Amino acid sequence: MVSGGNASSLPLVGGKPEPTIKELSSPGRRASKFPKLDVPEVKINHESLKKEKARLPEVSEHDLVMHYSRLAHRNFAVDLGFYPLGSCTMKYNPRFADSIASDSRFANMHPSMPEEFTQGCLKVYYEIGNYLCEITGMDDASFQPPAGASGELTGLLIIKKYLEVNNKNHKTEIIVPDSAHGTNPASARMAGFKVVEVETDSRGMVNIEKLKEIVNENTAGLMLTNPNTGGLFEEEILTISQIIHNAGGLLYYDGANLNAIVGASRPGDMGFDIVHSNLHKTFATPHGGGGPGSGPVAVKSFLREYLPGPIAENKDRRYNWHQPENSIGRMHGYHGNFLVTLRALVYMKLLGKEGLDKLGAYAVLNARYLSSKVSQTIPLAYDEPCMHEFVASVKDLKKSHKIKAYDVGKALLDKGFHSPTIYFPLIVEEALMFEPTETQSKETLDDLAETLKFIVDDLQKEDTVLEDYPKNLPVGRPNELIPAKYLTVNWGDFELLEITE
Amino acid sequence: MFVPHSELDLKKMFDELKINSLDDLFTHIPDALLLENGLDLPESLSELESIDYFDDIAARNKSDLVCFAGGGHYDVYLPQTVKSLTMRPEFMTSYTPYQAEISQGILQVLFEFQSLVCDLTDMELANASLYDGATSIAEAISVAINKTKRDGVVISSGINPNSKEVINTLIDRNKFNLHYVDLENYLFPSNFEFDESQAAFVVSYPHYEGSCQDLTSLVERAKEKGLVTICYVDPSMLGVLTTPGQMGFDIIVAEGQSLGSPLSFGGPTVGWFATKKEFARLVPGRLIGESRDKDGNKSYVMTLRAREQDIRREKASSNICTNQTLNAIGSAIHLSWLGPEGIFEMGYHAIQKANYMRKQLIKNGYVIPNDDSSLREFLLEVKTDAAEVINKMGDRGFLAGILYDEKHILVAVTEKRKKVEIDNYIVSLMEADNG
Repeated sequence: MVSGGNASSLPLVGGKPEPTIKELSSPGRRASKFPKLDVPEVKINHESLKKEKARLPEVSEHDLVMHYSRLAHRNFAVDLGFYPLGSCTMKYNPRFADSIASDSRFANMHPSMPEEFTQGCLKVYYEIGNYLCEITGMDDASFQPPAGASGELTGLLIIKKYLEVNNKNHKTEIIVPDSAHGTNPASARMAGFKVVEVETDSRGMVNIEKLKEIVNENTAGLMLTNPNTGGLFEEEILTISQIIHNAGGLLYYDGANLNAIVGASRPGDMGFDIVHSNLHKTFATPHGGGGPGSGPVAVKSFLREYLPGPIAENKDRRYNWHQPENSIGRMHGYHGNFLVTLRALVYMKLLGKEGLDKLGAYAVLNARYLSSKVSQTIPLAYDEPCMHEFVASVKDLKKSHKIKAYDVGKALLDKGFHSPTIYFPLIVEEALMFEPTETQSKETLDDLAETLKFIVDDLQKEDTVLEDYPKNLPVGRPNELIPAKYLTVNWGDFELLEITE
Repeated sequence: MFVPHSELDLKKMFDELKINSLDDLFTHIPDALLLENGLDLPESLSELESIDYFDDIAARNKSDLVCFAGGGHYDVYLPQTVKSLTMRPEFMTSYTPYQAEISQGILQVLFEFQSLVCDLTDMELANASLYDGATSIAEAISVAINKTKRDGVVISSGINPNSKEVINTLIDRNKFNLHYVDLENYLFPSNFEFDESQAAFVVSYPHYEGSCQDLTSLVERAKEKGLVTICYVDPSMLGVLTTPGQMGFDIIVAEGQSLGSPLSFGGPTVGWFATKKEFARLVPGRLIGESRDKDGNKSYVMTLRAREQDIRREKASSNICTNQTLNAIGSAIHLSWLGPEGIFEMGYHAIQKANYMRKQLIKNGYVIPNDDSSLREFLLEVKTDAAEVINKMGDRGFLAGILYDEKHILVAVTEKRKKVEIDNYIVSLMEADNG
């Protein structure tokens, strides 16, 4: 029997559903207590004050703590098991970083304080800026973007502003590979650019000949990850950057896959002008169930004055905010996600030169090893050495047994593993994208490969009903049509539906 | 560090891959692109050494000031239940709940968050959160533009100045006309004329300067002309304030820091976004819906995903692919902890204390230009330079407020402030604000 992932011992027991906090509510109960009002109480007449109380649940503190703890038990996490989730870099998040980020001397700082009062916070931005620029090969960084997609938009707005200031308004086209993340074209459109797709060649890399055909005087720039979304290093990157630069365009590096090359190679040396990084991927800050993240943008010095400001500077041993002259403007109400940035700095300090120099290599080692094992069960999409992630395809299984990538992912859940990323990149049929990260052990990788083999055999059995997977979890596959059609997005909506239908 | 491999593991893995060293992994990368001597960075620190390193940095912050600053971020009491439950690794270290069967915990909390936001604001549908208050306003304006296909936006000048900057960045001013309307006597002019070229009316409730007004008739008049009405609300005051839903707003957005997140130097916090069901398909960000699995078990799932960037690519209405889940979880837990009585007391104590503070300031010769209309936050007119006063107050242990202009400080009072702190503030102010 395959032992399953190291999360297969989880007490994710099925049975009854957890009521909502509203269903647990009972009139007159409360958890909160405040000090008695210590100023003389007066009658305040104001047209905006209401008489009735807010509609909120009434629960005791123990009920509240039990409820949210039970809900926590119904969730998978990095601290419980393995996420081989391609393009997401679900590595271990050091506990130590939590303790620094919880220090009230950081966590309780008000964002509108004058810089004299916040020298520590400014130093955090200054120090991590140095680390990030050295790692990416850039010169200056802004930590305003609160997430990767926001970092992308920042990069594109910088390109736009740069072209405007230099009277090149005719440059309106952003080139994006057909394998790119969906956020790339969405961000380009938001920044007001026209999106032009460039094809991927049979090796899984940017088709240089097609790129030459597309590039012209209207080319504003190219957005690229390297390694690309197929997990392959774009070996012709220097040629690509030459083509774009010769046309007067800028090169934007999407940091989604930065983990593969940390310490080995740098986007700045490849010719990229702008880099966004995802601190929640490469620099191990917790994903928080889908945020908060942080998507700082680093640029070559000629773009420094376009960054979203203010950015931290150090002059005469004092830190101050610098407002870039041609700044695209703010991307966040204050300074971005400070506590996330702080966590990433903690991680960088703990790894230091030794750890960071080898970071990419270990991430690649794990992926290369896992790809070697997985390829014995599921064919890989590309016959090239992978970097930190790789893409496999079950298109043959779909043809022979109607087994889709989706079904393989769902069956893995039963075995204590998170699903790999599925149906991405879009250009690979029935894609399963695996990214093990450097923090998983050889045994876990072996275990995943064996489990996949077991699953693929199991799903091919004659009596298999694919829709039944997963079988051992609190719920099976939810009906996705009901909420989309009837908008059951607020409590009471579903019950109302049951009454009316 | 954090790499588990022993020498033995490495040998086995190298053998599998038929390589001899880590360097052999990169033979396909052009030599010119490989770093020869690695990165120019300091050596690693142990945890013990890092404690000293970060202690030195933390000590550079003036972190012990009694906080009278607001502007959207408030020093309210954050209960231990919120702090400890949001630190649970199942919440903190999980991924976005795409795999519903192993993510029912996060999905249900987010569903509860959406529902709590709706109940508190009197709206029908809330998303699972956005980055922060400022970016939420910009997203709401985009929704209004998409809905109405108009190009004018009426924005009250009484919103956080940083939020204005974010709006100016995110809304293309070459295509859209942002019309900032000045407040009159700290209130939005009640006779303002809207017209049919305008997509949205954006107003803060209370205004940035702390004044508050019933916006019902303005909302009505804006809607008559077909504008989408957007309210940026201070959610921690909704235990005492008439709700934006009651005033008829189409969309409410909020900076949610004061419900569930520490001040955090401004981030991460959480943006709230709630609206009516007719806007459902224009809503940015993630949305969680309630459903059933095939055995009839209650289950939650991300819904209306067809709007999202990973599916619609360049046709998506927004490029957002994260929200601020952990902070939204904090909001849900904080709201449940407060309950109707707690959120009332939180707001009521704040306005009582602010009222006391204003009266004491006036008694001591200070001018509060918006004394009549303000609630928990107000402008304090100082006699000397406001920035200087803030600095000097820092030496006396107070964060006096936010610099508003040369003569004014924006002062906020939360339920957490004690009478003795207010009294001492005024004594210190009279020393500090003395040319």
